[in-house]
Amino acid sequence: MSPPPEGTLLMKRPWSRLQALAAACVLVLGATCVYATVDESHDYAMEAATPFVEQGFIVREDYWNGEVKSGQKLQITHQLFKGNEYAFWLGTSQEGVTLDMKVYDEKNQPVQINAKADKFFMSVRVNPPKTGTYKIVFELKSKTAAGVLWALAYGYR
Amino acid sequence: MKRSLFLRPALSAALLLAGSLPLTAAPQGTKGVEEFDPLAFPGKVVDDVIVPVPSEVFSVLDKLGEPNWQAELRKQAIPSTSDRTKLALLFGYTVAEGFVAVQAQDKEAVKDIGHDVISLSKSLALSKSVLPHAQAILDAADKGNWSAIRKEFDQTQKTVRDTMEQMKDMDLSQCVSLGGWLRGTASVTSVVKKSFSADRAELLNQPMLVEHFVNSISKMPGSTRDHDVVKSIQKGLASVLQQMDGAVDGFSKDAVTSIGKTCDSLLTEILAKK
Repeated sequence: MSPPPEGTLLMKRPWSRLQALAAACVLVLGATCVYATVDESHDYAMEAATPFVEQGFIVREDYWNGEVKSGQKLQITHQLFKGNEYAFWLGTSQEGVTLDMKVYDEKNQPVQINAKADKFFMSVRVNPPKTGTYKIVFELKSKTAAGVLWALAYGYR
Repeated sequence: MKRSLFLRPALSAALLLAGSLPLTAAPQGTKGVEEFDPLAFPGKVVDDVIVPVPSEVFSVLDKLGEPNWQAELRKQAIPSTSDRTKLALLFGYTVAEGFVAVQAQDKEAVKDIGHDVISLSKSLALSKSVLPHAQAILDAADKGNWSAIRKEFDQTQKTVRDTMEQMKDMDLSQCVSLGGWLRGTASVTSVVKKSFSADRAELLNQPMLVEHFVNSISKMPGSTRDHDVVKSIQKGLASVLQQMDGAVDGFSKDAVTSIGKTCDSLLTEILAKK
């Protein structure tokens, strides 16, 4: 095998480095965009929470999030305490998404009240009739995207 | 307090997907019938469980009376250890103690707990992410800003758990939640025992959370699962779950006492010096 012509290696190595750098930049920027979008879903959930905070709700720092196939229902099981009033805030960073959310008690009776939806978020309130396990069932339907990013936060007072 | 099969999330999901339960329901506040058809639920169950912070339960106890939160403060010294499992349990314990101190509106106790949080985070090599929260707790304690302190304790716990999960220490993250839940539940049983009522006792109806912890422990790596304290917790949680499952008509004072004793004994092990 004959050695490469003089200069080839020198030419190739800086180009490879440039390529690697460019690829790394694309990856970092891509990852940043993805995380920013996930974070944005939570930002919208927090936007939904703002008027509730003014009414004395305490927002939990923990929240659920992820990406779901458009139109696929998701169910979260959560512990609620009778005597507290709860609010759940569902947010998405994507446009053209219809949101729906309901909360069911142990006997599968819907218990949510005051459901309100906006362009990027919706909220429901719950006054749990009993202390126990509740199911939050929600759905995000996109007109354009196959997958929808979401975040669900809650608060209590 | 009759519980349906839907208390158990995995079973719940299976039944939903299999469509084996009739789920016709009337929405609250309306006369119409709303269908929740399990056959129309090709849905997914999100496994992540968010464990309520102690103040969620404490706020209900406040509405039902005026507990003496000062009497619930333990002001117990945190043992020094290099055992990361114990450190994680102690971290959860300490944050929960912080929530008790907030209820008691005890500035000095909050500050002491803030310093314990810093010390534990150093031992866990997490001080960089925890220090800003701990400092915010100390600053807010000076101002008596209780809602800010409550928020910071919640954020501190989330930051620590998130950092542990990023480091693939899921077991330690669960131990933080466990330590916090045990301390919170011990306080709840103590308050309920002192002024027993069915409404207060009902706050202990948390079988889904206990099952979540039991399942989490069973999925931990052997080294953590076989840890003496974790083994005791696993055994203790089984006993607590039995009490909860047996409380079909509500919790008796004896059941509350029994749950409290189990939590206290587990906390004694967590706080032991060895």
